[in-house]
Amino acid sequence: MSAARVAAIAGRIITQFRRDRRTLALIFLAPLVVMSLVGYLLSDRREPLPVGFVNADRGGDLFVGPINIGSALEGVLRRQEGIALRTMPSPDAAEAAVSRGEIAGAIVVPADLTEQVLAREPASLRVLVAGVDPIADGMVTLALRRALGSLAETVVERLAAAGAPTAPAQPVTIEVITVLAEPALATLDYYGPSFIAAFAFFFTFLLTSVSFLRERATGTIERLSASPATRLEVVVGYLCGFLLFAILQSLLILGYSVWVLGMRISGSIGLALLTLAIMVIGVVNLGIALSFFARNELQVVQFIPLVFLPQILLGGLIWPIATLHPILRALAQLFPLTHALAALRTVMISGGGVGEIGNRLLALAIFAAAMILLGAAALRRQRA
Amino acid sequence: MSTEGDAVTASGLVRTFGRVRALDGVDLSVRSGEILGLLGPNGSGKSTLIRVIAGLLRPTAGTVRVLARRMPDRGIAARIGYMTQTAALYEDLTARENLIFFARLYGLTRGEARRRAAALIERVAVERADAPVHELSGGMRQRTNLACALIHQPDLLLLDEPTVGIDPRNRRSLWEYFHDLNRTGGTLLISTHVMDEVERCHRVALIERGRIIAAGTPDELRKATGTATMEDAYLAFSAAGGGSLARQGSIR
Repeated sequence: MSAARVAAIAGRIITQFRRDRRTLALIFLAPLVVMSLVGYLLSDRREPLPVGFVNADRGGDLFVGPINIGSALEGVLRRQEGIALRTMPSPDAAEAAVSRGEIAGAIVVPADLTEQVLAREPASLRVLVAGVDPIADGMVTLALRRALGSLAETVVERLAAAGAPTAPAQPVTIEVITVLAEPALATLDYYGPSFIAAFAFFFTFLLTSVSFLRERATGTIERLSASPATRLEVVVGYLCGFLLFAILQSLLILGYSVWVLGMRISGSIGLALLTLAIMVIGVVNLGIALSFFARNELQVVQFIPLVFLPQILLGGLIWPIATLHPILRALAQLFPLTHALAALRTVMISGGGVGEIGNRLLALAIFAAAMILLGAAALRRQRA
Repeated sequence: MSTEGDAVTASGLVRTFGRVRALDGVDLSVRSGEILGLLGPNGSGKSTLIRVIAGLLRPTAGTVRVLARRMPDRGIAARIGYMTQTAALYEDLTARENLIFFARLYGLTRGEARRRAAALIERVAVERADAPVHELSGGMRQRTNLACALIHQPDLLLLDEPTVGIDPRNRRSLWEYFHDLNRTGGTLLISTHVMDEVERCHRVALIERGRIIAAGTPDELRKATGTATMEDAYLAFSAAGGGSLARQGSIR
């Protein structure tokens, strides 16, 4: 092994990178953007999740004085980080707010909670969640469990301090009620739509951004530009060609999930496919537009994490959008994946129809139209 | 300088790329029905000039009129044939499919596209027209590339170093074909850096560092410099920095 030859090869690569400023910028920019987002998302600085609280507890009498476990629980929950408690007048009002998406869930304390606990009878609390976003649902239940745990400790400590008997009460059970979906969904049903949307996005973006670059590499774009074909004709022509395969791919992902993996679909599969199709139109054009800004395959590949990962991180796949900083929340509304994900969850998990996802489809359509124009504008840079 | 019979008239054409002045005040006319050779070394601005004439690049300053229209004007795209320096073809398509595709871009019907593709394959002698382009030899690719530039029967053909990397036999037959096209009324602007090729042109424009340093028939250029070959004539003009010699006598 010749050190000189190894050094020559390594040196050549370093020189090439130094010349390719854009790749260099992307190499450092992409991880910085992604890691900054991860750093923020995993910190405690996220916004609290709005959770409703309905307290019907009549309270009871302990020998040290009157007690209301519902109110005590409310106090503990208010101090808890990660959720923002909103007092609600009735279970019906809470359910309506959950189904409108104003709150991620609601905790309903029954009238006889304190009495049951004092009587050492089994008591239960109800948690209302939409049942569509597994992470948000989980956060609500987790908050309640943690509050109950710390409440039990305080109560026991106080009773012990007062010299009262502290025989263990029956544990309080939590009954989770899904407002928009059927109860007890399998994990696959719950998480499946998220992955379908994310993968349809990823594969389509990969397909178009890299294959469009070939047109540039072979110089045929120059010939297209010299022809009477307008920019819009070129972009729309590309769209139609790629779209066939992108839609087939979406159909494959969706069909395989539903018919082979047995993922549950409560709503119309056609509507789920329509959602993916509209998203994919935008993604195809995003791929075309970005490949115009890239000079080589390396740059296009660098664009992938920069475009894809922020959508995964901010689009509601992992962290509920309601817990994002207002700026990131606004940014998430610009991402097609955010809308596709929400629409797919609505269709597949809660069986929503066009009425429920109309706004999401409109957002996806606007994104698609914007990307067609961006593609045409990017093509202009190629010319004159 | 420009006359009614000019297919291309460039005046004071400047095109810069950042700090590089690729075209530095080009004045040039291509008369209708002639073959004009654009002779210059690599990097002299030949490709840039052709791309500006084709309407692919906007001039930084100056004007270019093509077939009486000021460029860039997409309205006359269909009357210009542009052959890129390297074969710009879809590698996974066959030569015939490439031809039909470009024909359709120029608005030909499917049937007409097919007929013309077949006729061109015959005339330009593309062998293995139904094999994917990536299987074709360099010569066959370049023929296909030329055929693609001709498919819409343009009035003006802009050929950017059409014979680069082509063996002598293929080169000769391509030139024979250029003359055929010219006889049927086509105007051709052909860039090259091969001296003997310009002998086959009606007129030659010498380009150096983004400027036309002389233009005339090969005979005129040789006479003006008192040289026997185009190569010597070119070197004489180049040494004189253009200008002075070109202003003498009949050369313009």
